[in-house]
Amino acid sequence: MTTAAATISGYLKQKAPFFGSHEWITLGLVLLAFAIPALTTNPQALSQANLILIAATAALGVYIMLRLDLMSFAVPSFMAIGGYTVAVLSLRLGVTDVVVLGLAAFLVPALCAVPLGWLILRLKGVYFVLVTFVLTEIVQLLLFEAAPLTGGSNGLVGMPAVRFFGFELWDNSHVLLTTTGLAFAGFLVTAIFTRRFRYEFAAIEKNDVLAESLGLACWKYKAMAFAVAAGVSGLAGFALVNMLMTAHPTSFAPMSSVNYITYTIVGGKGSILGTLVGAILLVSATDYFALRGELSPGLFGLLIIVVTLLARGGVIGTVTTLIGSLRARGSRWVGNGPARKAPKGDIR
Amino acid sequence: MTAVPQLPAEALYAERMSKSFGGLKVFHDVSFTLQPGGLLGVIGPNGAGKTTMINIISGRLAASSGQVRLGETRIDGRPVYDNAGRGLVRSFQQTATFSGHSVSDNLRSAVRFARRDLSVLERLAPLLEQFGLVENWNRHAEVLPYGLQKMLGLTMALATQPRILLLDEPAAGLEKSERSNIDAYVGFAQREFGCGVLLVEHDMELIRRLCPQVIVLDGGRLIATGSPDEVLNRKDVIDAYLGGGDEEDGDAEH
Repeated sequence: MTTAAATISGYLKQKAPFFGSHEWITLGLVLLAFAIPALTTNPQALSQANLILIAATAALGVYIMLRLDLMSFAVPSFMAIGGYTVAVLSLRLGVTDVVVLGLAAFLVPALCAVPLGWLILRLKGVYFVLVTFVLTEIVQLLLFEAAPLTGGSNGLVGMPAVRFFGFELWDNSHVLLTTTGLAFAGFLVTAIFTRRFRYEFAAIEKNDVLAESLGLACWKYKAMAFAVAAGVSGLAGFALVNMLMTAHPTSFAPMSSVNYITYTIVGGKGSILGTLVGAILLVSATDYFALRGELSPGLFGLLIIVVTLLARGGVIGTVTTLIGSLRARGSRWVGNGPARKAPKGDIR
Repeated sequence: MTAVPQLPAEALYAERMSKSFGGLKVFHDVSFTLQPGGLLGVIGPNGAGKTTMINIISGRLAASSGQVRLGETRIDGRPVYDNAGRGLVRSFQQTATFSGHSVSDNLRSAVRFARRDLSVLERLAPLLEQFGLVENWNRHAEVLPYGLQKMLGLTMALATQPRILLLDEPAAGLEKSERSNIDAYVGFAQREFGCGVLLVEHDMELIRRLCPQVIVLDGGRLIATGSPDEVLNRKDVIDAYLGGGDEEDGDAEH
């Protein structure tokens, strides 16, 4: 067998694991949140954990679309659709089963995203950004104006506690368990979806003209991604409404999309772990920023500028690069280090 | 993912194909046939409409009139990915790879998108070795020298196991010593995969070496058809080249 044949044959025999280390760490960290109510009953700690998980789940909507090189401002729209779906189902129809509500919070926004995606996914770059931003404004307007369904400026208040197999999840720790369950579902769906189609997403992100010329129907993957991103955002909307026991338009303000984008980019848009790390760091930092009052949005903006200029990979991308450099240096010192592996950024 | 078996060979027919952008006629009434496993050269000065013709045949642009058929199936105006799925695959003037990803993952992506079996990479082994892609197997595409990036892009097109290859100036930008790779590539594509090849090229030596038949475009019109020696001695063809023209744009430049 020639060297070429041996290299290729060896490559074909390699089986890449379905999940990489980042997916396992992320899912593990989210699962750890189930233990928080057993560790503390401090309402502030529980509330902070709730906010982090909701922010991280919402930011997944941004992460999924960024994998296709599309910057979406539509997350608050789909959060609102998910949140209001749950509020209407529980208040008007008496549905309180958390699994049924979770499915509805995922499926209704995802189904709404299909026709919207058909309209806007032909756009790229700034045009896509603009249209998704306008979409959040339109949804905001509808929430205020469609008062018979949404309660208008009063919102929908007094939602009953959700139930899990008949067990009522009513207090602070139960709310965190519900949020954690929804966040875990969102992260699991996102991890499976983005890993299953990692080659397709990477190709569309890097060179969609080439991908199409090789036979990839890019629009199908963009449409699927838009629907899944909408569904996951809907889960975050459910968690937010459940925490506040109220569905109100101001919870889904268009400008909140800037926060979700910031979490994703500062954490690292190349990895699902980046979304979680970004949310943990920045939601925690929000307490600090809040002390600066009006400066808070400016500080967020400054962070985006700093990360964009100095560390495009975000926290996770930078740490991964540093670890890679240290390993490479280590293997050079050893001299006969291991054979060169595929470098950072490989799809496998 | 279910692999699609290799497709049967079929001829490519361009029939009275025209393309205008507003009042600007890019080419007009161009017809030719590329037989299964055949090789047809397309030459002409810059601005003759060669890349636009590839864009129309591949589905990236719609023809203003006329039609393109693959066997009995009309394919003009169909999406690029749809035509690629039928075995009609193009290459690009400039390097076209997925940056940030290794040579092996670039090839895997090509096979995957065409829904072919990965074992095609084993069939490509002699070519990959000759081009020096095996020794760069785990390196990122964008760090490779220009010539290697170009050959990677071409090999990705071949990894889809096409019936028809549309090659848009494959030798452009290659060192003289690297140009023999194109001879090897085209020969391999025809021999191993039975590909019909439409070769758009400015390198007349390459055209003379490879193409039994060429068509000449000038100002959007087909002005000559025949063997390279016949057409390259014609006065209208020489005049067309001496007259020159505007630069054409490439696609998917990364």
